[in-house]
Amino acid sequence: MEPQTHRATARQLAEDLGWLEEHCRKHPELTEHAAHLRLAGALTRNVIGPAVDGQPAKPLFVAVVGGAGAGKSTVVNFLAGSVVADANPQAGFTRHPTAFLPATLGGAWPSHLGFLGPLQRLSDEKPANLDEDVYQVKRIPTSVGDPLADVVIWDCPDMTTWASAGYVSRLMEVVALADIVVYVASDERYNDIVPTQFLHLMIQAGKAVVCCLTKVREVNEEAMIADFRAKIIGQLPVSVGEIPAVPVMAIPWLADDVRKDLAGLGAKYRVGLLNQILALCPSPEIARQRTLTNAVKYLESAGNGLLDVARRDLTEFDDWRATVNVGRSQFEERYRREYLSGEAFRRFDRTTEQVQEMLELPGPGKVVSSGLALLRLPYKYAREFLGKTLTRPASLNLSEQTVCSSAMVSWLDALQAEALRRSGTNTLWKQVTHGFDAGLKAQANDLFAKNYHTFELKETDELDQAARAVPERLTNSPILLSGLRVGTVALDLAAVVAVIVFTWPPGWALLLILPAVSITRQLVELLVKFAVDRGRNKLRAKRESLLSEQLTGPVATWLGDWPSSGGSSLEKLQLVLRRVPDAIRELSGLARPAPALTSLPPAAVPQP
Amino acid sequence: MSEPTAEPFLRTLAPLLKGLERQLRQWLDARRRYPVTLVQRAEIEGLADDYHRKSSSLDVDRPLLVIMLMGGTGVGKSSLLNALAGAPVAQASFTRPTTRDPVVYFHQSVKSERLDPALRLCRFAQHDREALLQKVIVDTPDLDSNDLINREKLKELLPVADVVLYVGSQEKYHDQIGWDLFKEQRKRRAFAFVLNKWDRCLDAGVGLRPDEDLLKDLNAEGFENPKLFRTTAQLWIDAEKAGQDVPADLPEGEQFRELRNWLEAGLSRLEIEAVKSRGVSQLVEQSERVIESVKPPDLSVQAARVRTTWEAVLTTEAEQQAEVLVSTLEPYQQEVEHHFSVQGQQRFWGLMAGYLRVTTKFRYFSTSLKDRLPFTPKLSGAISTPDDWNLTEFVQSCSRTAAERVLTQRLSALSNKLLVEADQKGMPLNLLNDQTTEATRLQWEERYTRGLVDALGQVEQEVTKPTGWRRLVRGGITWLANSVPTVTLLGSIGLVLYQVFVEGVVPSLVLLLLPLYLTLGVLIVFHVIITVALPVRWASIRDDFRSRLGLRLQTEFEQVFLPIPDAVATAVREERKQVEAIAAETREVAAWLREREQAAHIGELYGR
Repeated sequence: MEPQTHRATARQLAEDLGWLEEHCRKHPELTEHAAHLRLAGALTRNVIGPAVDGQPAKPLFVAVVGGAGAGKSTVVNFLAGSVVADANPQAGFTRHPTAFLPATLGGAWPSHLGFLGPLQRLSDEKPANLDEDVYQVKRIPTSVGDPLADVVIWDCPDMTTWASAGYVSRLMEVVALADIVVYVASDERYNDIVPTQFLHLMIQAGKAVVCCLTKVREVNEEAMIADFRAKIIGQLPVSVGEIPAVPVMAIPWLADDVRKDLAGLGAKYRVGLLNQILALCPSPEIARQRTLTNAVKYLESAGNGLLDVARRDLTEFDDWRATVNVGRSQFEERYRREYLSGEAFRRFDRTTEQVQEMLELPGPGKVVSSGLALLRLPYKYAREFLGKTLTRPASLNLSEQTVCSSAMVSWLDALQAEALRRSGTNTLWKQVTHGFDAGLKAQANDLFAKNYHTFELKETDELDQAARAVPERLTNSPILLSGLRVGTVALDLAAVVAVIVFTWPPGWALLLILPAVSITRQLVELLVKFAVDRGRNKLRAKRESLLSEQLTGPVATWLGDWPSSGGSSLEKLQLVLRRVPDAIRELSGLARPAPALTSLPPAAVPQP
Repeated sequence: MSEPTAEPFLRTLAPLLKGLERQLRQWLDARRRYPVTLVQRAEIEGLADDYHRKSSSLDVDRPLLVIMLMGGTGVGKSSLLNALAGAPVAQASFTRPTTRDPVVYFHQSVKSERLDPALRLCRFAQHDREALLQKVIVDTPDLDSNDLINREKLKELLPVADVVLYVGSQEKYHDQIGWDLFKEQRKRRAFAFVLNKWDRCLDAGVGLRPDEDLLKDLNAEGFENPKLFRTTAQLWIDAEKAGQDVPADLPEGEQFRELRNWLEAGLSRLEIEAVKSRGVSQLVEQSERVIESVKPPDLSVQAARVRTTWEAVLTTEAEQQAEVLVSTLEPYQQEVEHHFSVQGQQRFWGLMAGYLRVTTKFRYFSTSLKDRLPFTPKLSGAISTPDDWNLTEFVQSCSRTAAERVLTQRLSALSNKLLVEADQKGMPLNLLNDQTTEATRLQWEERYTRGLVDALGQVEQEVTKPTGWRRLVRGGITWLANSVPTVTLLGSIGLVLYQVFVEGVVPSLVLLLLPLYLTLGVLIVFHVIITVALPVRWASIRDDFRSRLGLRLQTEFEQVFLPIPDAVATAVREERKQVEAIAAETREVAAWLREREQAAHIGELYGR
C-alpha cells in the first residue's frame, strides 16, 4: 500500500487508541486497560508513524526509567559520559522527560508530525520539576568516537510517587519511542509492584530492555541479580509467551565523588552499561527495525485485548436492543390479538356481491337470470330470516389507531421502566434514563405518528387492491368470465331439466324446481365466498408484515440505535472498534523478521 | 493533670461500644427495603468489627497501646524495630521483601491472650523494659512489593493499630501506595512519621530535602506540626554490634534517640489513655458519617403524590378494561336480554307468567341453537354458552376470553406505567418494582369475573326493582297483568256458561273457544304494554353496565395498587427511624467522649 494511506491510517489509529484510552479512564473498572492503550497509541505515534514517513534510523533513542530515587540520573550520567543530569534527593522531583542530544548529531531532531503526541518541546531550559506536557532537549558534548554518538538519551520521570498519576503518560510516550529501555531499580525497589508492572509492560511491547540494579552491596551482587531474575523477569504474565533475554547488571552504592568522576572511578560501571546496550544494537538500522517490528507485533497480539474495554458497553448495548425487540414483539402481539383477530374486513363483503353480480348473464340473458331469481325468492327470504336470528352480533372491535397508540405507549413505558431498573448498573441505561427525561418519548411518538400515517396509507391501498383482485381477474380474462357465466347458467338449467325429467309427467312435483335452483345457487355462492375469503386471509397475513415493515420495524430500529446516535460515545465506540482492527491489519505489513534479543556473554566484552 | 479519672473512663466506654456494635449487627441482619450498596454494607460491617475490637481492648485495667510500623519494602521497618529492641528480633536482609510474618514486640508480663486476636498469629518477641510496659510494637510486612499477600496481611493488622509509625526512606517517602493507605487511615488512628536512611537524604540537589518535602505534604494533609523522626537505624544496629552506645559518625539531625525517648517516655500513661479515647472518638465520628450515608430518605410526601397520580392512571385503565370486557359480551347480548327477561318475569304469576314463559322460550329459542347448529357462523375465540343458562359460568368464560386476548398484556403494561409515573414523582422505581409486579400476577381473571357478575347484578337490580314513577307504573302494570287475564278468563267462561245454560244458545265452536282467544288477546295486549313500558334491551343497559363495571374494576385496582406506595414509604420510614436511633446513640457516645477529652500531648499525632 502507499505510504500516504499508511500515514493516514497510522494517524487515525493513534487517535482512535487515544480516544479509547480516554473512554477507559472514565470507567473505574477499566483503568487497567488505559496503560496498554496509552502504550499502543504512543507506539503508533512514535514508532510506526515515523517508519511510514520514511524517517531515518538515526538517532536511536535510549530511555532511562525507574522508580523515584532509584538512580536514574546517575545512570543517565554514565551513559552520557559526563555529569549532565542532577541527582536529586527529593522523590518525584522530575516531572517531564529530558532528551540529551549528542553534539555529534549536529542538532538534528525528528520533525515527524505527531512525534511524541501531546508533548510540546520547550524552547528554553526549565527546571525538571515543571509539571506540564512538555519535554526539553539538552545538548551534550559527545565526541565522534563515542559508542553512543548516535544515541539520544532520555531522562524520564518516575512512576511510583503519588504525583506520578499526573505525568506517567509523558513517561509512556517516551518509552514507546525508545529503541532501548534502561530500567533502573535500587536494592530497595527492585521487587516493588508498580515498577515491576511497568517493566513487564515494556517487555510485552517488545522493547529491548537493560536492567540496572543500583545501590547493591558488592557482596550481595550475584544473589540479588539471581533474585531479580527469578522474582521479576521470571514472573512475566503468561501472555508474553517466550521470555526474551533481558540483561541484568548491578551497580553498587556510589559515593558522590565516584558518581561524578565518570572517566576515572566511575568508568568501569559505564563500560559495563555501554556493553549491554551496544550488544542490543549491532547497527542503528537493525535496532530500529526491531523496534518497529515489535511495535507492530504488540499491536497485533494486543489488538483484541485492547478492544476488550469496549465489550461490556457493547453487551449492554445488545441488551438494550434485545429489550427494544421484546417490546416490538409485544406490540405486534397486541396488534394481532386486539385488532387483527377481530377485524372482519367488511370491504370484502362488497367484493362478494360484486363477483356474484358479474356472474349474472348480460344482455338478453338477463331475462333468464331474472326468471331464476324469481324462482329463488322463497329460499332467499327464508335464508335471510334464519341468518338474522342465528348470527350473533360481532363484538365491538377497538379501532386500529387506538390499539396501536396504546401499544406504543406501553412499549415506551416498558423501556423506560427497564432503563430505570438498570440505570444503576451501566452508563448506557443511565443515558437512556436521561434520554427519557429529555424528551425521548416525544421523539419516539413523533416518529410513530409519521410512520403510522404511511402505514395507514399503505394499508388502505393494500385493502383496496386485495378486495379488487378477484373481480379484476375476471374482468381481465373474458374467457374465464364467460366460461363461469355459462357454467352457472348451465348448472341452473341442468337442475331444472333434471327435475322435469325425473318428475315427468308434470304435476305438483314440478315445485321441486324451486329447491333445485336454490341449491345450485347456494353452491355457486359458496364457491365465490371461498375465493373471497382466501383473499381476506391473505390480507390478514400481509397486514402483519406491513405493520412490522412500516411501523414497528422503523421505530424499533430508531429506538435500538438511539443510544449510539447523536454523537454519543457509543456511536464513536462502534466506529473505533470497526476501524482499529482494520488499521492494525493494514500496518502489520511493516513487520519484518527482527534479530532476537540476546545479551552478550560477559566474556566477550569489548573495550571502547 | 490528674491521673485517677482516666481509668474508669476507658472501662466505661467498653459496654457503650458493645451496645453500638450490637445495634449495627442488628441493622445488618434485618431485611430492608431501601437498597444499600455493597460498599455501604461492607463499611458498616467494618465498623461493627472495629467496635468489637475496641470494646474488648478497653475492657481491661491497663489498655495496651499498639504502635505499628508501616511502609514500603526495604525502607527499614525491621531494622528500626531491631534498633529499638537493641537485638535482632525482626529479620532484616537485602532480598525484598524480607518480612512476611509480622513481629510483635511486647513486655514479658503481658499475657499473649491480652493481645488482639489478629496479633496472636504473629511472631512474638518479648522484652523486659518497663518503659515499654503498656506498649506493643508491631513490625508489619511491606505494602508495595509484588507479593500482594503481604499487603493483605498489613491491611488485616492495621485496624488493631492505635498509632501508626509511617516509615519512609529517601526513595519511598513519596510513594503512591503508602500515601494512599495513609490517607485512607489518617482519620482513624494516630500517625507519627519516620524518615529512615536519613544519611541518604542529605545530598544537595535542586529540589527540596525529603524531610522538608514530606512536611510540606503533611501540612497540606492537615498535619500542622507532625511528629517526624529522621533516623538511620542501620548505624544504631552496627553500633550495638560494635558495643558502642552511640554510633560514631551520626549524620547531622539524626533523631533515633528522640524516637526512642518518645516511645518510652513521651507516650506516658496519660497519653496512652488519650490516644485510646481519641481512637474511639475517631471511630465514632466515622460511624456517624457512614450511618448518615445509609439513612434512607423520608418518602411520605412522594408517596402521597404517587398515590394521586396512580389514582388517575387506574381510573383510566379501569374504564378501558371495562370497555374491553363489555365488548366481549357484545355477541351475547341476546343471552343477557334473555336473562333479564326471565328475571323480570318472576314478579308475574298465574296466566301471565305461563304465557310469558312460553313466549320467551320461543323468542330466545335461537340462542340455544346458535352454538349447536353446525353451519351457523362462529366467532373466533368463542365463548362456550352453557346448555342451561348459568350467568356465573357464562361470565367466567367471557372474562377468561377477554383476559387471554387483551387484559393480561394490559396489566403488565399497567405496572410499567405505574412504575414510571412513580419514579417521575420521586419514588425510585426499584423500591416499588417487586410489589407492583407481584400485584399484576394476582388472580385477575377471578376478579374480572366477580366484577362482571356484581355489575350485572346491580344492573339487574336496577331493571327489576326500579324506583320512583317507574316503580308506580310497573306496579300498576304488574297488578293489572296479573289480574286482568284471569278475570277475563273467568268472565268469559261465565259468559259462555250463561249463554248456553241460561239463554239456551246452541254452543258453536266459536262460542266455546271465546274464553281462549279473549284471554289470549288480553295477554298479547299486556305483553305489548310490558315490552313498551318496561323494556329490557341490551342497548339501553350497556352504558349503565359499562360504567358500573368501570367503577367496580377501579375499586379492585385501587385496593391492590394504591396501598403499595404508602406501605413502601412506611417501611422506609421505619428503616429511617432505626438508622436515626443508631445515629442518635452514636452521637450521644461522641458527645460523652468530647466532654472527657484529655489534656495530653497528642495533638500532633492527628491531622485536621
